[in-house]
Amino acid sequence: MNSQERSYESAVARVEEIIRRLDSGEAGLRETLELVKEGRELVEYCATELEAVSRGLEELRLEELVARLESAPGGPR
Amino acid sequence: MHRQTTAAPVTESTLPGPFEVGAYAAGLKRRLLELARVQLVGEVWSFRASRVRVYFELRDARGALPCSMWRTDFEATGVTLSDGLRVVVGGGCDYYPGSATSSPAFSFAVSELRIAGEGDLLVQLERLRRRLAVDGLFEPQKRLTRPLLPRTIGVVTGERGKARDDVLAGLRRRGWAGRLVWAFAPVQDRHAAPRIAAALRELSALPEIDVVIVARGGGSLADLFAFCDETLCRTVAMLPVPVISSVGHHTDRPLIDDVAAVACSTPTHAAETAVPIDCRAARADLAASTRRLHGHGRRAVLHRARALGVVSRAPREHVLRHRRHLHQLVRELRATARRVTDDGRNLAAVHLLVLRRIAARARGSQAADRRRTLDRLALALAAHDPERTLARGYALVEDRSSGDPLGSAAAARDAGDLALRFHDGVVAARVDR
Repeated sequence: MNSQERSYESAVARVEEIIRRLDSGEAGLRETLELVKEGRELVEYCATELEAVSRGLEELRLEELVARLESAPGGPR
Repeated sequence: MHRQTTAAPVTESTLPGPFEVGAYAAGLKRRLLELARVQLVGEVWSFRASRVRVYFELRDARGALPCSMWRTDFEATGVTLSDGLRVVVGGGCDYYPGSATSSPAFSFAVSELRIAGEGDLLVQLERLRRRLAVDGLFEPQKRLTRPLLPRTIGVVTGERGKARDDVLAGLRRRGWAGRLVWAFAPVQDRHAAPRIAAALRELSALPEIDVVIVARGGGSLADLFAFCDETLCRTVAMLPVPVISSVGHHTDRPLIDDVAAVACSTPTHAAETAVPIDCRAARADLAASTRRLHGHGRRAVLHRARALGVVSRAPREHVLRHRRHLHQLVRELRATARRVTDDGRNLAAVHLLVLRRIAARARGSQAADRRRTLDRLALALAAHDPERTLARGYALVEDRSSGDPLGSAAAARDAGDLALRFHDGVVAARVDR
């Protein structure tokens, strides 16, 4: 999964798929190590996403967000 | 009064004039404008819109009146007109006097407009609903992917409504504490629909916004009519961001519910729909996934280590096995050598024994002769043993100080102190001079 198309739901789905494969015991040694590596990266990504919505509610008015984006380097996206 | 022209009047007419038509038209306009402004009720027919005005006819069984309205005023009402719709309009007569190049027109200039009754409103609503469905506008929003864990949520709602608190409560219930962008807009008056549509467009233009909630508390269907606005509904349908509507209650079904990605019964429910997962549970699940991955990884590494151990031990064991075999061979070789040597030694010993026996046998006769000679000599020697003489009753005289035997009386006198040795003991004696 490349990072461009990565989303929380796709990452969670892939982790579940990986764990199912690992639980099946059908994965060979090399595959297991690769799956574990991929799974850890995805879990880390999910943890980052969860962290982003756990730091405390930030409330903005639409016009504040627009002003912030316009004043940001590079202007509005 | 109208200015009379210099043109000659119709000869036989008794009417005043002739007057210039433009002046008369302007006068007519003035007179019409003087008529009282009123409210009229009737059905709308032949609705059409130009760039700045909208036109329709208001009819009932007894007559009809052409009506016109500034387009901005009409759009602000949020009402969609269609043939047969019964409306109440407020306004007054007006007249466009025309010119040399444009036609004159009479109309009832409408400044206010509302649907005549809820029944009509529902009919209108159903007509619009069918039209939107035919245009395929119920589907696009439903095809959008709604994120499981949005980082930024936009909310369009009234600034002072209860819906705002309900949205916050729903998000708290999910354990969600990301970024919330409020786009406040009126949610019930005639200005609501365009403002809501504008807020939605602005929110969806921001790439940060993952999902938008449109929320309003309950109210009558007439109050919720802003959310049935055709332009608003068409706007929502084509937005690239999922819209979750929560307008009114179960019994009301404003059109925005049909075009939105999801329609919820309450703002709290809408907030929970915007964040479909419980963030606290998600964190726990993630920790469990981490543990399971760690366990699998650890087992895999141990398995690999064991496999490598077996592989690495194999050559060593092979060498050890061969070494043991070699040692065994060496031991066997030594044992064989020892056995061969022992056999030789034993054979030599046997030979030696045989030789010794042969030698002994050869020496045997000489030894007997020697023993016999020895016995004879021993007997001869014993015959001269002084002890045997003493045993027969003789005594041996010895010098007591030196122990030397004294063989003569002179010697005894010389010695003085004597020892007389008998066979059973020694007696001291002194020579008496």
